[in-house]
Amino acid sequence: MVSSAGEPQILLHPRSRVVNILPSAVLQELILAVGSEWVISDPDRLLVYEADAQTAQKLAPQAVVLPSDTEEVSRVARVLHRHGVPIVPRGAGTGLSGGALAIEGGVVVGTSRMNRILEVDPENRRAVVQCGVLNTDLSAAAAPFGLHYAPDPSSQTACTIGGNVAENSGGPHCLKYGVTSRYITGLRVVLPDGETVWLGGQAREAPSFDLVGLFVGSEGCFGLATEVEVALVPVPEATRTLLAIFETLGDATRAVTSIISVGLLPAALEIVDQNTIKAVEASIFAAGYPTDAGAALVVEFDGIDAGLELEAEEAARCCEVAGARGVRRAESEEERLALWKGRKKAFGAMGRLAPDLLVQDATVPRSRLTEVLARISEVAERYDIQVANVFHAGDGNLHPNIVFDRRDPDETRRVEDASKEIMRICVDAGGTITGEHGVGADKRKYMPLVFSPQELEVLRGVRGVFDPEGLCNPGKVVPELEGGR
Amino acid sequence: MRHQIRSLLGTMVAPEALVPDGELECWRTGQGQQGLPAAVLAPSTEEELARVLARASEEGWRVLPAGLGRWLEGGGPSDVSVVVSTRRMQEVHEYEPANLTFTAGAGLSFSGLRKTTEPHGQWLPLDPPGGLVGSLGAAVALGIGGPLRHLYGTPRDHVLGLTLVAGDGRILRWGGRVVKNVAGFDVTRLSVGSWGSLGVVTSISARLFPIPEAEVTLIIQGGKVSVLLPLARAMALSSLPLAAVELLDPLELKGSGLAEVGAEPAGPGLVLRLLGSHAQVEEMEARVRSDLSHEVGSLQRLEGETSRAFHETLNGWEEGADLVARLCLLPSELGTLLDEAEEVRDLVSKASSPPGAGMRLSAHVGAGVLRVAVPKLPEGDGGLDPWVSSLRSLRARLEERGGSLTLSSGPSALLREVGAWGAAGEEKALMAGLKAEFDPQGILAPGRLGL
Repeated sequence: MVSSAGEPQILLHPRSRVVNILPSAVLQELILAVGSEWVISDPDRLLVYEADAQTAQKLAPQAVVLPSDTEEVSRVARVLHRHGVPIVPRGAGTGLSGGALAIEGGVVVGTSRMNRILEVDPENRRAVVQCGVLNTDLSAAAAPFGLHYAPDPSSQTACTIGGNVAENSGGPHCLKYGVTSRYITGLRVVLPDGETVWLGGQAREAPSFDLVGLFVGSEGCFGLATEVEVALVPVPEATRTLLAIFETLGDATRAVTSIISVGLLPAALEIVDQNTIKAVEASIFAAGYPTDAGAALVVEFDGIDAGLELEAEEAARCCEVAGARGVRRAESEEERLALWKGRKKAFGAMGRLAPDLLVQDATVPRSRLTEVLARISEVAERYDIQVANVFHAGDGNLHPNIVFDRRDPDETRRVEDASKEIMRICVDAGGTITGEHGVGADKRKYMPLVFSPQELEVLRGVRGVFDPEGLCNPGKVVPELEGGR
Repeated sequence: MRHQIRSLLGTMVAPEALVPDGELECWRTGQGQQGLPAAVLAPSTEEELARVLARASEEGWRVLPAGLGRWLEGGGPSDVSVVVSTRRMQEVHEYEPANLTFTAGAGLSFSGLRKTTEPHGQWLPLDPPGGLVGSLGAAVALGIGGPLRHLYGTPRDHVLGLTLVAGDGRILRWGGRVVKNVAGFDVTRLSVGSWGSLGVVTSISARLFPIPEAEVTLIIQGGKVSVLLPLARAMALSSLPLAAVELLDPLELKGSGLAEVGAEPAGPGLVLRLLGSHAQVEEMEARVRSDLSHEVGSLQRLEGETSRAFHETLNGWEEGADLVARLCLLPSELGTLLDEAEEVRDLVSKASSPPGAGMRLSAHVGAGVLRVAVPKLPEGDGGLDPWVSSLRSLRARLEERGGSLTLSSGPSALLREVGAWGAAGEEKALMAGLKAEFDPQGILAPGRLGL
């Protein structure tokens, strides 16, 4: 970290390594790398980048660069690597774990300009896209060939494929189709030192380590995937959608267990609880769910038309046996969207309940859903906090969302304590701390719940293979050892 | 040295964990004295294995992780000191039908798993080469699938978690038994398909699926393989959720009973496997038949148990061959792969009579994978020379097009000269770094994957 005379030194905090000031020489080099119009250093404009969709913690980066292709990303990485400045990749900023937060300072590399679809290859059911392409734009480009990109995170109209790769995103239909990593077959990656490598590739069916599988879900800690080869699947020919209304949340989860146990494989099994229903119905997103219901369950089947009807009927029977008050069927695409509305708009509606929202993402074995949810409700009562559940029931992926007001220190403390306890309950039930949102900055402190010190050390080592200097999205995923790295 | 290894191991593990000397011949990894391991260890616990691997790392023993010992020559290395078998790790640790997941020892065979899950109407839809007698651990370590990959994918898509005893003896648990999990980096996926070069996989959690209610196989024949190819491609690209689309040449399969149903075993055949509910399978069959009506020479139909038995036989397709090569390109380039295979046929012709007899082809049509099996390679000095140069140039051509050639099995002399794998290319430095992280002394399966 040599600086020329008169330049401010990069100031590294001895413990946290936070970069306080970006030397103007570095800024100049970044401008050379991507052009002045794509380097942001004005503090006011940097505020946009001070958080992602998880806003509990805010920290503006020293600068933001917006490269347009792999070559520019590589140039940017070289500059930052040479000067020892942290590099923080960022897609659309829809992440829910603080993954795109410049927690140790440094420069955010935004991918918004890398939004070109490079190839749609229906003959091989694949596409190659730049990392900044939006999830739904990829499916739209594949649609003329009867194909789509299967993983469908709730933010899919806004989130990028690169962000999906970083987080290994899920979505309601991942119950049947699987999550992002199933669909990523190749990656062009700019490593933290600026080197570019191509990992995997569908043609190669590589007899090598599954580096693509390892990279997916690495949360920006291994480098920046600039181009992504994805597998596409046929758009389902038909769907059947049901909405079942239950008196209690326990009845709804018992219905889910029963649907899975009888051997049905729906495309989606989604639950919203009473608190969520109330929030949705009181908002502009009102979907017509009864507000006195304990829970609502959306069940969807897709595939070829034959047999779907029977499956839907069997699922409806499972719901009735579990005590459903009523089961509604969508008879048209319009009705289908209406049934989904209460589920899809749940997060948006919760903003009404209180100023702050803590979104959790733990996953438990599907057979333990009923029991775990009962314990979560117990915890909520004991700490006197309000929990609204909206979740991918078929995958056992819970989203207990805690609404609160951060300005109230006592409530904030109760929320934090309850949150810890909920996490522990899920892990003890054989689950894990995050199913699809990622660890990020947010859940790093919970990693020792699921990994031994030795395993955490291996994770640090694996990261070090890609990023020996620890400059790529530092402060994320793996907790640091006492006294620094 | 051999004696020393055996006596040292004798002090470290229970007597029943060491395979008796008299049985060592069954665990050969290659020809000659070199191909005979000094010891074969079959630990019953992870701790026992960990102790041995820690010591092996200190001593620098070359260790080959293995399952039930049915495919030891695959991929090399042929000279190892200790073979580790998971055959005493066959316990089902956990099976929760309502969660559609299980956790079991890596030595459990596919048939053992089936015995556990079938009564609950569930299965693991993987059909790697080697079939039901193979172990789960081997399929996971190799990351390899079979025809069912068309619908269900390969082990990377099913494994939820695993225990890995690293090269230096660390016992590491990754993932779990939940179907969605993004806590930490995905070492589970890294381990799947790592060919035992990072650690010994001792326990596996995976997701299960409901056993489909109905099953039908349609076998289409008529003309040469080049005539069937466009049809095969069209089927692989159809919007129907076919479970498998396989092109075989010849169709012949020992023990499959195909001749009895009227198939022509000597000719090529396109095999379509239909799985689903009765209504779905009926619909798929009707639509396949209507797509075929103008083109087909003959169509045979297998149903239910007969169909299932046929596919079980198909899983043993690679067995008994002197050489199995795996050629990969994009699925749309399957025609190129078939052309390339003709070069291998020329070699077979020169070495056999009648010319070309015995070479077999099997393509996973939707994946762009062509397997070539040669039953008998020439013996004696120089007999393999043309094979070495020919396979090397075939690999170069495929890699040039972004594809690959791997040799799943073959005589150790040939594997040594040609290499089971091609160049790791741009990934090599990262792979070497990861290998060093898990197996710092480089004792596990040295040479595999070019490391």
